[in-house]
Amino acid sequence: MKQTVQMKKIQEKMKPGVITRDGFLGNDIRNLIDILVEDEAGVKRIGLTHQVIANRMMELREAGMRGLGNFISVAPHFEVQVDSVRGKLPCPFGDPGIFPKTNITVKNLNINDEITFTDLHIHLIGSHGFYEGKGSLFRLEPERLIKTLEIAPEEE
Amino acid sequence: MPVQALLIGIGAICGVSTFLAILMVIADATIANYGDVKIKINEDKEVEVTGGKPLLSSLMEQRIFIPSACGGRGSCGLCKVKVTSDAGEYLPTELPWITDEEKKDNIRLACQLKLKKDISIRIPEELFNVKEYLAEVVSLKDLTYDIKQVTLKLINPDDISFKAGQYIQFKVPEYEMTAEPVYRAYSMASHPSRKNEVELEVRLVSNGICTTYIFEHLKAGDSVTINGPYGDFFLRDTDSDIIFIAGGSGMAPIKSILNDMADRGVERNIVYFFGARSVRDLFLLEEMKELEKKLHNFTFVPALSEPQLGENWKGETGLITEVLDRHLKSGENVEAYLCGSPGMIDATKEVLIKRGVPEGLIYYDKFG
Repeated sequence: MKQTVQMKKIQEKMKPGVITRDGFLGNDIRNLIDILVEDEAGVKRIGLTHQVIANRMMELREAGMRGLGNFISVAPHFEVQVDSVRGKLPCPFGDPGIFPKTNITVKNLNINDEITFTDLHIHLIGSHGFYEGKGSLFRLEPERLIKTLEIAPEEE
Repeated sequence: MPVQALLIGIGAICGVSTFLAILMVIADATIANYGDVKIKINEDKEVEVTGGKPLLSSLMEQRIFIPSACGGRGSCGLCKVKVTSDAGEYLPTELPWITDEEKKDNIRLACQLKLKKDISIRIPEELFNVKEYLAEVVSLKDLTYDIKQVTLKLINPDDISFKAGQYIQFKVPEYEMTAEPVYRAYSMASHPSRKNEVELEVRLVSNGICTTYIFEHLKAGDSVTINGPYGDFFLRDTDSDIIFIAGGSGMAPIKSILNDMADRGVERNIVYFFGARSVRDLFLLEEMKELEKKLHNFTFVPALSEPQLGENWKGETGLITEVLDRHLKSGENVEAYLCGSPGMIDATKEVLIKRGVPEGLIYYDKFG
């Protein structure tokens, strides 16, 4: 798919050393538009939307906040920790505001898997359908995210 | 023929573009020579540096360290400096970090601001006390499954002066997770009186560049570089009763303050609430007991939010906010010091204010 000039500019901002040291793209050489389209298709195949996924991430973040920095049990079989490190990050798509470096770690005790995401991830997924490029240290594979957070299509 | 013309056209455009790009690189290296520029600091100190480089690294070359957690990439927004002379327009890379109020005050990001002419800046006086230290790792000890105690012996310079509660920046060298050195801030847990030693308590952060380095690569005998001290989280010199509240590695600055009080024989009423999830998240309990003996009016209150079956926990249970609410009857003559996650700080602050602790007497070191 053809990438717009605007999208090209955003992709430039996602390169290493512009907003974050390692960037948002990993070793993904695809155009940003292709990354977005392919992840969108994957999410649709499962019968979900980015917004539903982001809502679930936010819901678990809110539940985890009650732990005040420590892991806390969240029904039915999750443990969630919301912790922060110093610093903030802007959105590479140019949205206003900056996002605190808040790490939300969700352990799914049922399948013994654990996933960590940030406030910026929630925004990038909910507002832009962006899960980061392949090979990025912070990429969230949509399928794994959906499985670990137990996001069902009927929640839409 | 039209295809041939098109190819010639494309070739010509590429050639011109390449030529212009080379010209720009040469121009930047030669014509864009800003010579030496002067940085006037706080109107009484002046240093001369090579122009064209960012303010942050230029100051660092002069051994003046501005706090920065990202090593100058413009991704942490910490290296803010007030500029009192004309320094040109804000760069797009600065704008996300600068509020409207800060814009009015001409606050700039030192890592993004390139020095093209003489400049005047204002920085906190205490930054002149910040130095870079070469140190040796003396020991690494697991305090819990996700918190490590790192003890460093200072080599050059071999002593540090700091206020209990302050932090240093730890330099992570290039390794598999980072192609360039990065800096991360950690509170010092050590006694200020032990000037040759710096102790840190580091909590593992998932995918964290620095914590992964410390947990998986650092070993006793390694040389490391730190700089500091920084921060305004330290004990105020009053007679008020003290409440400390911390969780996880937030223990570090509080431990330093308590040991400093014991070393200096400061006698004040102190209650320290430490929040953890279960017994396996608690640490330094013996050291706290020892401090209770040294500081006669000190009580340590560890509280578990979710003690596990079989742990036989007999202490306080509940979130640290609930425990604080149960213990603190009045905030009169109280000052509070908090260290932990922003969520913990916000929630405990609310309880303290509800109990009458004036907001201005609540000091905190928020991770974030």
